Amino acid sequence: MLKMQKINKVYQTEMVQTHALRDFSLEVNEGEFIAVTGPSGSGKTTFLNIAGMLETFTDGEYELDGVRVGGLNDNQRADLRNQKIGFIFQGFNLIPDLNLYENVEVPLRYRGIKTAERKRRIERCLEQVGLGSRAKHLPQQLSGGQQQRVAIARALAGEPRFLLADEPTGNLDSLMARQVMELLEQINRDGATIVMVTHDPELARRAPRNIQIVDGQMADFTLYQGAAEHAVAMEA
Amino acid sequence: MFEIKPIFNALCRSKVGAILLLLQIAITTAVVSNASFIIYDHVQYLNKETGFPQDELFRFTVLTFGKDRELSQQFELDEAMLRNIPGVINAVTTNAVPLSGSGSSSSFRLKPSPEESESVNAAYYFADEHALETFGVKLIEGRNFLPEDVRITNTIENAPNVAIVSKAFAEAMFPDEPALGKNFYYFGDKPLKIIGIVDTMLSPWPRSSRPPENTILVPMINPGMYQHIMVRTQAGERAAIMRQMEDVMLDAYNKRVIINIEALDQVKQDYDASDVLMMRMLIVIILVLVSVTALGIFGLTQFNISKRTKQIGTRRALGARKSDIIRYFLVENAMVCLGGLFIGSISAVLLGTQLMQWYSIPALDNSYVAVTALAVFAMTMLAVVVPAKRAANISPSIATRTV
Ligand SMILES: Nc1ncnc2c1ncn2[C@@H]1O[C@H](COP(=O)(O)OP(=O)(O)OP(=O)(O)O)[C@@H](O)[C@H]1O
Ligand SMILES: [Mg+2]
Repeated sequence: MLKMQKINKVYQTEMVQTHALRDFSLEVNEGEFIAVTGPSGSGKTTFLNIAGMLETFTDGEYELDGVRVGGLNDNQRADLRNQKIGFIFQGFNLIPDLNLYENVEVPLRYRGIKTAERKRRIERCLEQVGLGSRAKHLPQQLSGGQQQRVAIARALAGEPRFLLADEPTGNLDSLMARQVMELLEQINRDGATIVMVTHDPELARRAPRNIQIVDGQMADFTLYQGAAEHAVAMEA
Repeated sequence: MFEIKPIFNALCRSKVGAILLLLQIAITTAVVSNASFIIYDHVQYLNKETGFPQDELFRFTVLTFGKDRELSQQFELDEAMLRNIPGVINAVTTNAVPLSGSGSSSSFRLKPSPEESESVNAAYYFADEHALETFGVKLIEGRNFLPEDVRITNTIENAPNVAIVSKAFAEAMFPDEPALGKNFYYFGDKPLKIIGIVDTMLSPWPRSSRPPENTILVPMINPGMYQHIMVRTQAGERAAIMRQMEDVMLDAYNKRVIINIEALDQVKQDYDASDVLMMRMLIVIILVLVSVTALGIFGLTQFNISKRTKQIGTRRALGARKSDIIRYFLVENAMVCLGGLFIGSISAVLLGTQLMQWYSIPALDNSYVAVTALAVFAMTMLAVVVPAKRAANISPSIATRTV
């Protein structure tokens, strides 16, 4: 589903050159739920941005759902983003002047979906995150957890194959964080592939597969929580 | 496609900036359309044919204090002397100087009083048979005055009974029939027979709302201590002749003062001076308003963009193409602008009606409002393109990089 091979990302600023990703390789399969951890500044966001085509990479090979991303132009990347990827941000990134309905509508409009179909999807997604009754509210009228749920509804509305979340619970207290996590798990069970960056070891542990990025490189271990549990279950 | 509804809703939720811009556009449209119409009207006026070869004419005024000369003879001596100066085409004594802003006008009747009668207002010039050539106006029908037509008098009894009239006056007095040979009346029941018709010959008040084209020439000299003289010269000689004018006039008779020696184009310029000043001010107002509006739009869009960088990055992350972002700002601007143009066009028409009442300005031509609105629209769209392009170039990674 997602395949990165020897991706390098170098940020060139006036004074310094930052090697944010070095020879980074990763393969993600359909239906996986991956938690990405690592120290601050290690390149997690950079990885996620490249995976979501928000940034280009310096060299390497990246294939998303069979499409080689390296050769795409800006419009093609935007369209691919719109069709395949749902983003969930740490700061929710709802548009303050739009109500919840209109916020969820944004990616659908860029896809050119007809009004009736948009309405159906928006209502379903808001329902799914438990905010169906508040479609006319503005983001600032909601709590952080609710806002993040709207953002998830927005990510889901386009029915993406792939959800990318950068510290989706970073701005939430632990109760809200758990609710959001449960929502993501539900979405994953429904078939979406999820990659989530998190600083919270407890949340990371709930994800079936953990990877760690250190200094722009994949750390040498990958933990398959699900597999371990599975093994335990078999022993019993 | 154009996201009209959500953009409109978003505008309504943060409306202060939008309303300020809208008002600015409305004011610009209202003021600029009226101002440009007034300027156009003025340029029309400045280019209007006066009928006089202005660069060949000059005027001066004679103030006689000596009592030892017969004024009714002196003016003929003066005219004859002036005509003898090389380069002078002709000279004439007159009661009023064309285009100068001071002269006389009266109502002339179609029928003698006490009969009920139509009347036409016209400026009149008293002058002898040299007037036609000196003024340089074109006789299109009939004949010039003969010396025997001319009366040198200050009494009504002896007043002349023929006149040369402008074409405009002839048509106003006799709309349905040829005017030549017809009588009209002044001083109540004194008849004036039209013996000649000249093409354009404007009154002393070319800017007046009373038609300045309505003028008549009456063959009469009213000798006095205060006398205007018009001199027509070869175009290139005028300045030199004007310089010697005081000397030759005083050489001929020195108990008098020569003042106001002035070229006719200068006379017209002085008459128009306050108007021209107003036009310059209007042009400055237009330029200031237009650039303030353009800057306002530019600044507001710029401000909107810096306020919304994260939002723009998010939209890009959610699949907006660069062209979607540009379109967003263009559509947003177009909405504010159309609102402003709507209010502005209505205000322009209202303002035009007011101006027409306050000053003698013709009714605002609606095409000026339309053209101004179009130009303002184009200008605002241009002003928004550059910032919108910059917005489109905001990296989508802003969405994850800013909190
Ligand atoms: N636009 C940029 N220009 C220059 N350097 C950058 C840029 N973005 C990121 N970097 C650098 O790249 C490195 C990786 O940054 P990244 O944001 O991927 O880290 P992170 O793992 O997400 O950190 P955190 O956990 O604090 O979010 C850092 O050293 C950072 O300073
Ligand atoms: Mg990060």
